[in-house]
Amino acid sequence: MSYKFIEHPADIAVEVDGNSLEELFKSACYAWREAAMDLSSFNKESSKKFIFNGTTSEILLIELLSELNFQLYSKKWVFVTIQNLAVEKTDSDYHLEIELFGQTFHPEIHNMKEEIKAITYHQVKIERIGNLYKTLIVFDV
Amino acid sequence: MNISGIEIEKVSDNLWEIPRTGGMLVPGRIYASEKMFKETLQNDEAIKQVINVAHLPGIQKYSLAMPDIHWGYGFPIGGVAATDINSGVISPGGVGYDINCGVRLAKTSLNYNSIKSRIQKLVENLFNDIPTGVGSSGAIKKLNSHEIKKILRDGSEWAITNGFGSEEDLILTEEKGKIKDADPDAVSNRAIERGMDQAGTLGSGNHFLEIDIVDEIYDEKAAAILGLFTDQIVIQIHTGSRGLGYQICDDYLKVLVQSGKKFGFNLPDKQLACAPINSEEGQNYLGAMRSAANFAWNNRQIIMHLAKKSFNRTLNISDSELNFSLIYDVCHNIAKIEEHIIDGKPKKVCVHRKGATRAFPANNNLIPDKYKSIGQPVLIPGDMGRYSFVSIGTEKAMEETFGSSCHGAGRVQSRHQALKAAKGKNLIDELTKKGIVIQAKGYKTIAEEMPHAYKDVSDVVDVMHNAGISTKVAKLKPIGVIKG
Repeated sequence: MSYKFIEHPADIAVEVDGNSLEELFKSACYAWREAAMDLSSFNKESSKKFIFNGTTSEILLIELLSELNFQLYSKKWVFVTIQNLAVEKTDSDYHLEIELFGQTFHPEIHNMKEEIKAITYHQVKIERIGNLYKTLIVFDV
Repeated sequence: MNISGIEIEKVSDNLWEIPRTGGMLVPGRIYASEKMFKETLQNDEAIKQVINVAHLPGIQKYSLAMPDIHWGYGFPIGGVAATDINSGVISPGGVGYDINCGVRLAKTSLNYNSIKSRIQKLVENLFNDIPTGVGSSGAIKKLNSHEIKKILRDGSEWAITNGFGSEEDLILTEEKGKIKDADPDAVSNRAIERGMDQAGTLGSGNHFLEIDIVDEIYDEKAAAILGLFTDQIVIQIHTGSRGLGYQICDDYLKVLVQSGKKFGFNLPDKQLACAPINSEEGQNYLGAMRSAANFAWNNRQIIMHLAKKSFNRTLNISDSELNFSLIYDVCHNIAKIEEHIIDGKPKKVCVHRKGATRAFPANNNLIPDKYKSIGQPVLIPGDMGRYSFVSIGTEKAMEETFGSSCHGAGRVQSRHQALKAAKGKNLIDELTKKGIVIQAKGYKTIAEEMPHAYKDVSDVVDVMHNAGISTKVAKLKPIGVIKG
């Protein structure tokens, strides 16, 4: 499970991978967080659970990251660790359940790095190459 | 010329055409100098995006790009496309995430000498008085959903009603600060929640408030009508619809990506997700987009008022001594229903301007009476270390670009490259030596937004001037900048 930020003309691009869809999704969450926040002074204060559905795994991934974005900018809450993450494929769509531990964002203590306007659809395509699931994700800043 | 396998034909010194091929419904046209093609456009995927946009159902005449063209999501930044309102589509990618990101220019009766000893203090007070930065909030108390919906419907009128300016400001704002037929009910609760504490906030990234001096005047007659004189202190504000707008774009991209199959569109890029203008999805997006546009105008109205108060307080002068007033406010990320001449006949079209500014000519009935003799002001900000420009719209813009011009400079370095180039430099010192006082939330912002991360905006403005699309009136030089 890993992520690597790559050059992009205007925004933030990151290649994420994982040995399973779950691991890929976790990589993406940590990549998002690193792009958005300086996490050095955060603690696990509270937990939140979310459920998502999407017709494709890519839509599911964007839903998840968009929720993290919303939690930060509207609810002023950021995740510290991912407690549980499960992705299930049914006949017609994908289903994700996730539990996160995190903390309220306090601007006087915590540093935001970039304001991520949105998680774009640009070149999001989850591919399995050997044992690794990979995709590129671009955050509009 | 051939760029990355794409044949591009020269129409004139500043205009190039990509002939129709494959699934393109119209040719592409790019306003640029030959120098721009050689230096920056060679490796820019934006040219392919001009071709992709030409596939949009109902597109009229050309898929256009202004000389600040660079890569974007779906549409290139600097892209303009008009679609037939009956048979055509509307695409959130043709507007952008920051709906009604735009620029406002206000003037004072002060000159540089009258404030030069107090610029530092002025910048500090502006920075304290106007919320800036990532996740910035709190210019006014957190609003409830009901108040936000009023702003979405009423735009700048909300600000005026609540004491942030005067009726005169509405006349001097594009769409009078309130685009009609906004539909707050088409805006998600999530988007409303994102907007609740962001009214009157500047945001971050390339958003700014700048104190400029009028450095050079090119058109004395137009400058006089705009109330500009050499050495005058003016204020530019660049911001948009903040998190509310980003969320609306996000919400509707999701809807339209998923409804694409229903409409049977076969488009070369998922980010060109679109719906027929007359469909329920199209009308809902239009209503929500207009709501975000109104939120942005209200935002810039509040910020301008806060800036005026900062000037009053810092310089300890009255309104009558300061004479702080709005010149104009333009948006550069929007889609609007307008009437244009196509094949010799007037036709209603949906004009998408993504990183492009409306540039209507003299005598157009949609521009303020006081500017009818010269044309609509076109406000084009540059980077924080060089200059910005004021131009005016022309009849040629109406004939060739659906009344549109450029919007700014465009990046040439990624944020990472800019940060790397800034290592070991003291950028604040460098700007100070140029006579520019800057205050930002963090040094990282200054490094990412350093002047050489951007094209030289004068190249962009000159192309539009030489092409007769928008003609130069004045050059503005920054002396104080606040950034998020």
